[in-house]
Amino acid sequence: MLKRADWYDLARDTNWTPRYVTTEELFPPQMSDTFGLAPAAWESYDEPYKTTYREYVSVQREKDAGAYSVKAALSRMKFCEQADPGWLSTLKAHYGAIAAQEYAAGMAEARMARFGKAPGMRNMATFGMLDELRHGQIQLYFPHEFVAQDRQFEWAHRAMHTNEWAAIAARHLFADLMNGRDAVSIAIMLTFAFESGFTNMQFLGLAADAAEAGDFSFSNLISSIQTDEARHAQIGAPALKILLENGFQAEAQKRVDIAFWRSWRLFSVLTGPIMDYYTPLARRESSFKEFMEEWIVGQFDRSIRDLGLDRPWYWDIFLEELNETHHGMHLGVWYWRPTVWWNPAAGASTPDRDWLEQKYPGWNDTWGRCWDVITENLRNGREDLTFPETLPVICNMSNLPILGAPGSKWGCRNYPLEYKGRRYNFGSEPDRWIFQQEPERYAGHMTLVDRFVAGLVQPPTLAGALAYMGLAPEECGQDAHGYRWAFADEPSLKKAI
Amino acid sequence: MAALPIVSNFESDFVLQLVEIDSDDSMDTVASKCAHHSIGRRVAPRPGTILRVRLPDAEAPLPREQTAAGAGIAPMDTVEIFFEPIVSEA
Repeated sequence: MLKRADWYDLARDTNWTPRYVTTEELFPPQMSDTFGLAPAAWESYDEPYKTTYREYVSVQREKDAGAYSVKAALSRMKFCEQADPGWLSTLKAHYGAIAAQEYAAGMAEARMARFGKAPGMRNMATFGMLDELRHGQIQLYFPHEFVAQDRQFEWAHRAMHTNEWAAIAARHLFADLMNGRDAVSIAIMLTFAFESGFTNMQFLGLAADAAEAGDFSFSNLISSIQTDEARHAQIGAPALKILLENGFQAEAQKRVDIAFWRSWRLFSVLTGPIMDYYTPLARRESSFKEFMEEWIVGQFDRSIRDLGLDRPWYWDIFLEELNETHHGMHLGVWYWRPTVWWNPAAGASTPDRDWLEQKYPGWNDTWGRCWDVITENLRNGREDLTFPETLPVICNMSNLPILGAPGSKWGCRNYPLEYKGRRYNFGSEPDRWIFQQEPERYAGHMTLVDRFVAGLVQPPTLAGALAYMGLAPEECGQDAHGYRWAFADEPSLKKAI
Repeated sequence: MAALPIVSNFESDFVLQLVEIDSDDSMDTVASKCAHHSIGRRVAPRPGTILRVRLPDAEAPLPREQTAAGAGIAPMDTVEIFFEPIVSEA
């Protein structure tokens, strides 16, 4: 048997010039490379992480043995019954938003595996495809354990097959970043921007909180998943290097700018509430903003500039949003809780609010003012006023509510646009800018609110909207703790749920 | 006299909301319909004020008795609802 060192450098770079079809037929630009680089440009592609199939199988087998054995050991502990309801909501939100999209990422890796012009990209993406198949399957298998006890866990599989609003937002994002792009754009937008930037937040930052919360099965799982990510996320950087060397800096920058902002918005609604509100207070490692500053503002910013790219033009807007946006996403998800498949934890008890004020000075004078009214309503027996009677207006790019800091700041504003006689609403300047880069790509899509206004949701009531979103009454989100947090200051008041 | 969906940006609230008004509604009525979805839910009432309506980036509010149609408010236009202190006549 040949030693790896004897054959690897030759095999990893094996390529050929087609003779029976043209290069363009073999690699249609729309699937392969919409930048228009010459095939020879890809000859210098050098992936930083190199592995063989034999090694891959061996290493992955070890990882799976580790993940599944920890799960099996902890399954006897009846974790679902003992865990904090806010933590269970974290799991439900994570699995529903992520599991099926991992599978979709497998299709995006497959596109790079087939249509990447660089052999190194094709090889690494083949392993990336296997990684994502693993991630999809394992993140369906783990929550499946709980389906018999709690039907919201079934949304780990179902979410992406419904028109629930967060599922629409996730599908829009990932269709834009990966499933509707050419191989080179996928390398930049999925592997470089989304994976090497943001997924560390969800999978490592959250793993820290999970370990703190005592959920070693989940912590171990997502840490294991992230070791795969750390490998296949490296597909994009060498592709960026080649684009910059061949004069495509502006085009590459634009792809990064689009993917970074869109990824940020998803994380503001998924990871932000989880870290700052659902994770039990005593178990929070760091605030969402602190995690973002470590992983994104610190590390990812450096990696962008090391490659020779600029910080995205909206960097100051992004830094300001770190203080506010996820608080709004959380308040929105909580207030519109019947529309989600998990039970949001309010995270607004007095001790919670003290922590929030410490981490986000001014929180009580802005977000706290809204929670004051909500808390007062619950104490006065007006639960009805803590439920919505209309829809929020959502962004035609992110498909998330258009929001801003409330109370003394009143920072909410619309960023509208008229295009071919139709009105579009956006939640930020960058969201609107993204639309303007390629209007025809996005113009045909209708948000849930567009559909409602156009009469596509029948009956045009909240009940009709819930049915349109595929949420059965028993699945609709409720406050994770039965409003007990609102009464924590008043032990004489008892609330029977 | 036509149903008109608009976008409400209510002072001290955190999110834009879809509100159904009528094209013949006065600005006072528009403000009231928007207030239903904000005041007492996430915005505390403010005694000693009335609610006014203005278009985004406008200097002045729209006249209270003006209708939505008269103000040229089109479907899915954004309106800002804000608190104006009542000035005593004394």
